[in-house]
Amino acid sequence: MKNRGWIIVFASALIICAVWWLCITAFSSPAKTVGIYQNGELIEKIDLTTVTGEREIELSGEYGRNIVYISNGSIKMKSADCPDKICVKHGELESSGSPIVCLPNKVIIKFEDASEKIDAKAGAAG
Amino acid sequence: MNTKKVILSAVLTAFALVAFVIESAMPPVVPIYGVKIGLANVFTLFALYALGKRSATAVLLIRVSLAAVFAGQAVSLFYSLTGGVLSLLLMISLKRFFPVKRLWALSVLSAVMHNIGQLTAAVILTSTPQILFYFPILVVSGIIAGAVTGLCAQLVLLRLKHIYDKNF
Repeated sequence: MKNRGWIIVFASALIICAVWWLCITAFSSPAKTVGIYQNGELIEKIDLTTVTGEREIELSGEYGRNIVYISNGSIKMKSADCPDKICVKHGELESSGSPIVCLPNKVIIKFEDASEKIDAKAGAAG
Repeated sequence: MNTKKVILSAVLTAFALVAFVIESAMPPVVPIYGVKIGLANVFTLFALYALGKRSATAVLLIRVSLAAVFAGQAVSLFYSLTGGVLSLLLMISLKRFFPVKRLWALSVLSAVMHNIGQLTAAVILTSTPQILFYFPILVVSGIIAGAVTGLCAQLVLLRLKHIYDKNF
């Protein structure tokens, strides 16, 4: 295949995936129940609307502690001991955005209702 | 492998390691694990085309192991190895269909393969299939990053052709 052929193939793959990404981030339903997972297990399920004031949840993993912070109906990773701090830079969890992921400590914070079906499948798989 | 090849592989590994360290010192473009340019891959590509698959394998494996030491995270070694080995296998097996002039296309394929490998490793390690959510964005990032690193390697190789063709 010539250069032009490859450019067309990659450009179309790029556009398809970009549109796919926009669709899953833009059309996910607004949800308020979040789940905090570690090592694939549910640690806690929280309805953000019921939390009055502030709340902190501490998780410890292989690479130190993660502190989850909840206030005014929003949830974010306040601090993490891992070196890259991608989860802290993520900021508040948004219903239209991606889950907060800390790979070193295997922590995931995400909205629940939007993907109940996926959860059921995941549970069945192990 | 002759002495020249061994030495050049070692130099390329050192360059790749420096590229890795500089890149990891930069703030991430997008706060998603796995979205990065992967500058170190330029040197693996160069080794593959100028020196052959054995040198490329050596450059990749040594760089990845030493990078884990510099990054101080054993878990990142697992992710980099899965992605790196898968993408290298893909490049070695498809290399004969891609002359240096189309190296960038092979690099795009291998970058996408690298990200798919890492994503799979993440799904297995965290046992959370929901991470597959990131699949489309990692394909996008792989295509862009692969094209950039592939073009770098391609331009250097085309300019140095007269040197490595004569010597190896």
